Amino acid sequence: MHDAGAGQVARRVSLVEYAEGENASPFAQMLGGLIEANVDARPEKRADFDSLKARVGVFVTDIDEGVTLEFLGGRLLVHNGLQPGRDLTIRADADTVMQLSNVKIGFARMPNYMDATGREVVAKMLRGRLKIDGLLGNLTTLNQVTRLFSVQGGGYSR
Amino acid sequence: MAVEAFSSEWAQQFKEEINRSTVYRQAAKGWKWTVGLVVEAEPDRGFAESRGIVMDLFDGEARDIRVGSADNARACDFVITAPYSRWKQVATKELDATRGMLTGKLKLKGDLPTIVRYTKASQEMTECTTRVPVRWPDE
Repeated sequence: MHDAGAGQVARRVSLVEYAEGENASPFAQMLGGLIEANVDARPEKRADFDSLKARVGVFVTDIDEGVTLEFLGGRLLVHNGLQPGRDLTIRADADTVMQLSNVKIGFARMPNYMDATGREVVAKMLRGRLKIDGLLGNLTTLNQVTRLFSVQGGGYSR
Repeated sequence: MAVEAFSSEWAQQFKEEINRSTVYRQAAKGWKWTVGLVVEAEPDRGFAESRGIVMDLFDGEARDIRVGSADNARACDFVITAPYSRWKQVATKELDATRGMLTGKLKLKGDLPTIVRYTKASQEMTECTTRVPVRWPDE
């Protein structure tokens, strides 16, 4: 039996918080909820979540809405809109954002851009339908964020 | 022939459209959860009472789709809720379902990673609704 210790109350601390609280946008709640569910359900994602310290913007061009994901090493603060000081900003339409979440994680924990979904994502990047600002110097961050977004299984092993 | 929106006849035709779709069959392989659509009443648009569409979807097949109460639909594994006019926008291709969910126009309850994994299936299911000829009570 778990002993929380004298004077301590065992409680689950939320991994994800919303800067705007109850006024968090539906998109913010969806991305925050997706990452929280992924980290909760898949222990192998926890290492990425715990080590990641970055501000990542996601802007969905066809709904004209964005969020900023502030990864704080084991905690995520989700802001409505694009906030200053971002390391990376992903700009894409809604379908592409969903596709990004379906990129499989392959060999050496790298996102797999060789299968059908991965190739479509790359093609959209080449056609300018997916833009990533700040990629130079932040490739590791992008890979970590992609792993946290990904709902797909695959060879997610060290 | 056009059928009344969100009626039993509509549910039957919707089911047939889904089962005709090879895209859906492929994209929904492995899906094993029930889906409830809550269509909220809008009396001023001729849709007097909320209804629930209960969908028994399994491994690429629509086994059963029936109309019941909103509470019937809320008991499903995944629940999507919107007022009548929003569902009409989806069925007439005015509103894309993915965008609707991202903007909160369609409210989703259920395991997010699972629904995201089956985005293509849900998009095709939306396509299937657009193929059912409908009589809208506010037209």
